[in-house]
Amino acid sequence: MTTETLRLVTPETPWRVRSKSQLVYIFIASTLPAALTFLIADQMKLAGLIALTIVFLPLQLLAASLAALITVGKRGILDAILTVSVLFLMLTMGFLLGSVALSLVQKGFKALSFHAIYQNSFYVTSVTSLEYGGLGHALVGTLVIVGIAVIFAVPIGIAVGVFLTETQSRMRGSVRFLSQAMTGLPSIVSGLFVFAFLYLTGWVQRSAILGSVALFLLMLPTIIRLSEEVLKLVPQELRYAALALGAPRHKAFFQVIFPAARSGIITTCLLGTARVIGETAPLIVLVTYLPSTNFNPLSGDMASIPTYIYSWLKFSTDLANQRAWGGALALMILVGVLFTLARFFGRKRF
Amino acid sequence: MESLNPIPSNSFGADVHLSTKDVHVWFGQRHVLEGVNLEFPVNSVTALIGPSGCGKSTFIRTLNRMHELIPNAKLAGEVLLKGQNIYAVGVDPIQVRINIGMVFQKPNPFPTMTIRGNVLSGLRLSGKHSRNEDELVENSLQAASLWNEVKDRLDSPAGSLSGGQQQRLCIARALALAPDVLLMDEPCSALDPGSTIRIEETIRSISKNMTVVIVTHNMQQAQRVSEQTAFFLAEDNNPGYVVEAGLTNDIFHNPKDKRTEDYVSGRFG
Repeated sequence: MTTETLRLVTPETPWRVRSKSQLVYIFIASTLPAALTFLIADQMKLAGLIALTIVFLPLQLLAASLAALITVGKRGILDAILTVSVLFLMLTMGFLLGSVALSLVQKGFKALSFHAIYQNSFYVTSVTSLEYGGLGHALVGTLVIVGIAVIFAVPIGIAVGVFLTETQSRMRGSVRFLSQAMTGLPSIVSGLFVFAFLYLTGWVQRSAILGSVALFLLMLPTIIRLSEEVLKLVPQELRYAALALGAPRHKAFFQVIFPAARSGIITTCLLGTARVIGETAPLIVLVTYLPSTNFNPLSGDMASIPTYIYSWLKFSTDLANQRAWGGALALMILVGVLFTLARFFGRKRF
Repeated sequence: MESLNPIPSNSFGADVHLSTKDVHVWFGQRHVLEGVNLEFPVNSVTALIGPSGCGKSTFIRTLNRMHELIPNAKLAGEVLLKGQNIYAVGVDPIQVRINIGMVFQKPNPFPTMTIRGNVLSGLRLSGKHSRNEDELVENSLQAASLWNEVKDRLDSPAGSLSGGQQQRLCIARALALAPDVLLMDEPCSALDPGSTIRIEETIRSISKNMTVVIVTHNMQQAQRVSEQTAFFLAEDNNPGYVVEAGLTNDIFHNPKDKRTEDYVSGRFG
C-alpha cells in the first residue's frame, strides 16, 4: 500500500466520453438537417410549419439514424428516432404553450391593473376606457361558484376513493364503473341536467348555486378516480402495520394512510379544481352574467370569469376585446396562484 | 392427516399461553394449511421453520387475526389465547391485536411520523394512554436495543434510519403496547448479521415476560433463540402442515421424522 502517494483524483463519467469522430458525426447530424431545411424552404418559399414538419423532421430523423448507425450500430437507430421524435414533440408543445401564455400576457395586460382586480363592470360599456371598471365581480363569482363545488366535491370524492381502496365491499365494481362513466360527461350535458333537474322542476330558483352543482358533477369523478389512484400507492405494509397495532380502520386511515397520501390528495383536489375553473358552458346555461358584484350564491345572477370573457367577446370594439383578454389572463394567473398554494401546502414534510 | 399435539403443556412447567386447535386455512378455494395443533407456553420462544410457501407466515397471521384482512381468506379451527377462542363470535379483533403484537418481514415504520411518534403510534392508534410517554419511549427503545443510537434524534423522521434500525424501531413500536404475545414474521431476513444479533438479543430479553413466536429461515437463529420449534412442510400443491414439533434441541439433534432430519441438516429446502 502506497498511502504516501498523493494522487488527485477527479470525478469523471467515462461512460459518457465520446471519440472525436463520433463528435463530428453528431455535430453533422444535428446541424446539417436544419441548414438544409433552411435552404429548401427559402428556395421553395415554404411556410414555416410545413417546412418544419415535412422537410425538417424527416431529414433530422434520417440524419440521426445514419449517425447512430455509424457510431453505435444497428441498435442505436431506434434510440435516435425516438430521441428526435420526443425532442421535436417536446419543443413543439413548449412552443405552443409559450405562445398561448405570451399572447395572453401581450393582449391582456392592458386590461389588468390594480383597480381591475377589485372594481366591477356595472357602469362599463364596450367603449369605456380601461381606466374604469374591472373584473372583481367575476373573480368573486368564480371563487364563490367554484368554491362551493370544491367544498362538496372534495370530501365526497375522497370518501368514495377511500370506499374503493380501503373497503372490500361488493359495491366497489359498480361504483367504480359509474364514476368512470361520469368522467366522460360533457360539461354542457351536466349544465342541462342541472337545468332540467333542479331549475325546471322548480326546486331551486335561478341562482349561482345551480352552476356550483353542475361544476360539482364535473369534478367529482376526477377526484374519485385520482384519489383512488393516490391511495392505492400507499404501501399495503403500512395498513397492516397500523392494524397489527390494534388500530380501528378509521384511525389507521386518518393517522397513517391519509398522511402518507397527503401530498397526492392535495394534487388531486387541485386537478379537480383546474378541471372546472374555466368551464363556461354550464355557467352560460345556468348562471346569467351580472356586471355587478353578488356574494350570495343562493339568489340572483352572478358573474364568473368565463362568462365575463364571453360577455365582452359579444362586443366588437377593441376595448371590449381587451377586457376579454384581460379576463383570460386573470384566469390563467388565478390557476397559477392556486397551483402554487397547493404545491406549498402539499409539499412532503420528510 | 394425523392430529398432532406434540408439546405437552408441562414440558416447561409453564401454563399454555396460546394454542391452536386443528387450524385450517384457505385462500378462496385453495387449501393452504391443514390441521395445525400447536401450543405456546407462557414466556417461551417458538420458532416456526420450513421451506418457502409451506404456510408459516400464513399461520402466524392467523394468531392475531391479521389473516382475515386478505380478501377471500377463510379459516377453520380455533386459536385459544389463555383458553379463549380469539375467533369466537363477539371477540373484538382490535383487542386481540393489542394483546398479540406483530413484527413484519419488511421493516414498515410509519414514514410520516418521527422516531418518537412511531414508538407512540400504537398508543395513538389503539386509543390507549400512557402516564409518562417519555419513559415509555425510552423503555421501549431500550428493550429493542435502539435507544443509544437514536436518543439524540427522537424527532427526526423514521425514514432516516437504516434498515436494521427501522426493524428495531418496529419492534419497539410493538413493545410499547406491552403485548402478551409477540409474533415475528422473519424479522431478520432483510437485515445484516449485526442487526440480526441485536434483534436476537432483544428476543431473548423480552421473552422473560412475553411469549414470542418467530418465523425464520435461519436454522442457526432458530437454535439460538427458541426453546421449541415446529417444522412446517407443504408437498406438491398440497396444503402445508406441521411435520414435527417439539423442543428445539430435539428437533435439531434428535428429530423423529426423516423429513425433519433432512431439512434441518440442509439436505433439502
